[in-house]
Formats: sequence, C-alpha cells, structure tokens
Amino acid sequence: MQRTLFFKSSLLALLLLSQQVMAQQPVTNGVEMADRLRADGKIWVVVAVIATVFAGIVVYLIRLDRQIGKLEKEVQNQKKDVRQKTSDLN
Amino acid sequence: MNKIWWKALAVVIMTYVIFWGLLGPVPRQPILNESIRNVSFHVPLWFAMIILLVTSVIYSVRYLRKGRMDDDLIAVEFANTAILFGILGCLTGAIWANFTWGDPWPNDPKLNSVAVGMLMYMAYLILRGSFDDEQRRARISAVYNIFVFAVFIPLIFILPRMTDSLHPGNGGNPAFGKYDMDNSLRMVLYPAVIGLTLIGVWITQLRVRLRRVKVAMDD
Amino acid sequence: MTESIRQMGALMRKEFLLEWRQRYALNGMLLYIVSAVFVCYLSFNARRGQLTPIVWNALFWIILLFTAINAIAKSFVQERAGRQLYYYTLASPQQIILSKILYNTVLMLVLALLGFSVYAFVLGNPVKDVPLYLVALVLGAIGFSASLTLVSGIASKAENPSTLMAVLSFPTMLPLLLELLKISKNALDGLDRSISWKEVGTVLAIDAIVLVLSWLLFPFLWRS
Repeated sequence: MQRTLFFKSSLLALLLLSQQVMAQQPVTNGVEMADRLRADGKIWVVVAVIATVFAGIVVYLIRLDRQIGKLEKEVQNQKKDVRQKTSDLN
Repeated sequence: MNKIWWKALAVVIMTYVIFWGLLGPVPRQPILNESIRNVSFHVPLWFAMIILLVTSVIYSVRYLRKGRMDDDLIAVEFANTAILFGILGCLTGAIWANFTWGDPWPNDPKLNSVAVGMLMYMAYLILRGSFDDEQRRARISAVYNIFVFAVFIPLIFILPRMTDSLHPGNGGNPAFGKYDMDNSLRMVLYPAVIGLTLIGVWITQLRVRLRRVKVAMDD
Repeated sequence: MTESIRQMGALMRKEFLLEWRQRYALNGMLLYIVSAVFVCYLSFNARRGQLTPIVWNALFWIILLFTAINAIAKSFVQERAGRQLYYYTLASPQQIILSKILYNTVLMLVLALLGFSVYAFVLGNPVKDVPLYLVALVLGAIGFSASLTLVSGIASKAENPSTLMAVLSFPTMLPLLLELLKISKNALDGLDRSISWKEVGTVLAIDAIVLVLSWLLFPFLWRS
C-alpha cells in the first residue's frame, strides 16, 4: 500500500515535471502550437527518429575517419619502405 | 584518429541541439507556429557555410603568400563543404518557406542572392576543372576564390538589408532583433552554429586527408 | 610616382594604338551593340514608347552586359604569350592591370553612350532624369570594366576562355547589375535624387572593392 502510494506520487511528480517541460509557456496569445503532440509524448517519436538518423551519420563519419587513418598509415609505411630500399641500393 | 576531442564535442553539441531544439521551449509567433523550431536547424546551416567560406578564403590567401599546394587543397575542400551546406540550406529553406510563406521560392532578395552565390562557387569548381597544370590551377582558382568571396559578402549581407525581405532582420532592422529571437531560441541556435561548423570541419578534414593520401600515392 | 604614371600613360597609349590598328575589332563592337539593340527592337515588335519602363530598363542593361562581356573578354585573350612576356619585362603588373581597366572603362563608356543613344532613338526615351541615368552608365562602365578585366585575365589562363568567361562573370556581375538597375529605374521614373544616393553609394563601394581586388590579385595571375 505504502509502496504503491509512493509509486503513484512519484509518477505524478514525474508527470507534472514533464508537463512543465512539455507544455512550455501557457497559451497566452492564442497562437496555435503543436501542444497536443507534446502532451501525448509523441514528440519523442520524432526526436528518436531524428536522433537515430544523426547517430547513423556520425557512425558513418567515424568509420570513414578510421579507414582514412588506416590508409594514411599504410601510405606512410610504404614510403618508409621505399626510402629504405632506395637507401639500401645506394 | 588524431585529436578526437573536437569531433566528440561536435557530436555532443549536435545531439543537444536535436533534443533541445525539438523539446525545449520556444516563443509563440503567429504565422510560424511550431515551425519556429526550424530556426535551430535551418539558420545554423548558413552561419556554418559563411564560416567555412571564410576559412576557405583564408587558406587561398595563404596559398598565394606561401605557395604550398596543401593550402590550396584545404581551400577547395572547405569550399566544397560550404557548397554542400549551402545546397542543404536552400532545400530546407524551400521546405520551410512553402509552409510559412506559401511558396517554395518566394521572390525574396536573400534567396536570390544566395542562389547567385551558389552559382559563383559552382563556377569556381568549373574553373578548377579546366586546368591541367596543378600549380596554375591552384594559383588562378585561389585568385578567383578571393575575388568571388569579396563579391559574395556584399551580396548576402548588404543588398538584402536594403530592400524589403520576408526574412527577419531585413529592410533596415538589425538581424535577430528582440522581436523574433528570445533567449530560449538563442540557447539552441548558437550551439547549433558551433556544432554544425565543427561537423563541416570534420567532413572537410576527412576529404582533405583522402586527397593527401591520393597525392602521396601518386608520388 | 611620376615615372610610373608616365609608364601607365605609355601603356594606355599602346592599348589605344592597338585598338586603332585593328579597327575592325572596335568597329565590330560598335556594330555588335547597335545590332543587338536593333534585334531587340524588332523582336519586341514594339513601336516607340510601348515597352513598360521596367522592361525597357532591364533590356538595355542586359544588352550592355553582353556587350561588355564580349568587348572585355578579348583584352587578355587577344594578346599572345610572347607579347605578355615582353610587357612583363617592361612594366609592373599593377600598371598593366590599371592601364587595361582604364582603357576598358573608356571603351565601355563609348559603347554605353552609343548604345544608349541608339536605344533611345529606336525604342523611345522614357527617361525623366537623364543626368542620373548617365551617372549610372558611368558607374556601370567602371564597375563592369574593373571586374571583367580581372575575370578575363583569369579566364584567359584556362582551356576554353570564352565559355569560362561567361560562366565566371555573370554571377560576379550580378550585385553590381542589380544596384545599377535600381538607380536607373529611379532615374527613369524621375524620382527625387535623394532616394538614389544610397544605391549610388553602394555601387561606388562595390566598384572600389573590385578595383582594389584587381590591383591586389592581378600580380598573382600575371606570374603564371
């Protein structure tokens, strides 16, 4: 009992808090905004999609960065080899 | 990977921008309604583009002064990324304009000047394509890059401000007056500018490194 | 200082002499603008004074723009490499670019005034404030010649100069052209001159920027 009450009250507090964040300023000048979307919490779906897209791009960039780094190293090593060979020949 | 911290910073900032730009409080404006959130995603593209172009010009000047091929390479790649951001800015602007002004390409001085600016930089790329000799290409395209930049800046900053425009901050008002920007938007916009610029620098750096590898392999 | 001015005078004289010897080129340019005006006149099939002022104005400036590009494009393309090398030993690049710009300005002024008079003759002259229109023409001649001379220098180094000339010059001319259109529209409507001062100032500023840039950047072009 005690527990559920605590749970309920904490849920209530969380809800209120999220209301604070979601609802922003109260409707003062009657300009229509997507308040419903926010109140439903559906906005999180949009956020999640965009964040996933961005995460995908970042992962792609990081992989590209790594690959280019590897290439750079290879080219450097090759150059060193070539230099050594030429110096050996000399 | 060399010097990873600023890349991480870019990712962190952009993540913050995506979350807070969509969730954070925004001012309520009549025509814009909820689409005012685009300020945190569309406007930074232009700022980042200008910053990248400035960097490109700085490298062009450095090439002319010192004559290192590497500077020319960096200048081109910054210009490339700037063009990418410019095209994205045009597209996102068209989408936004379609909803708020009812026309994807309203006859607005700012839009037209940006389109002309894009033409200029496309011409820059074409100019680069028409040389065989590397030194010559580098020197002449650096000259054109500086020239074009000097024409581009009055084109997008001074001319639109002198005529009436749909964009805020034109027709005499300073940009981002207290009418349209309040602190809640600024808190997203400024980080977004920094974040996008860093992302642009990252892309540029990748392309520059790729080109350097190519140059090294040719030798 | 006096020495360099004297040298520049000599270079200018050489430009005029060259042009005079190849009179067909000069005559060609004059004929070009006259026939362009006439083609426009015929294709609009317009009797005098039938075009609206906006169309009249825009058409004139577009004719002028094309003429300018054609006239100035040859300022570097026509000179062979050997002769350029010869100048290189004689004068500094700054003197060369300045003398070219001055020469092209004079050429543009002649072309613009001729074009204007023919245009006004066949299509009627709705301009209410002719002095202001002439000011716009002069400012336009300076700006066109300064930026086009540099661009023609750039284009002449590339593979196919004529196409590149058009591609490179159109966007860079546009800010100047827009302001000039605004001034000349004001002159056309005979608005009070105080309205146009701001635009005149902007055009002067753009002219100054372009001139200074040509002065600074041309030496780098010259070297290659």
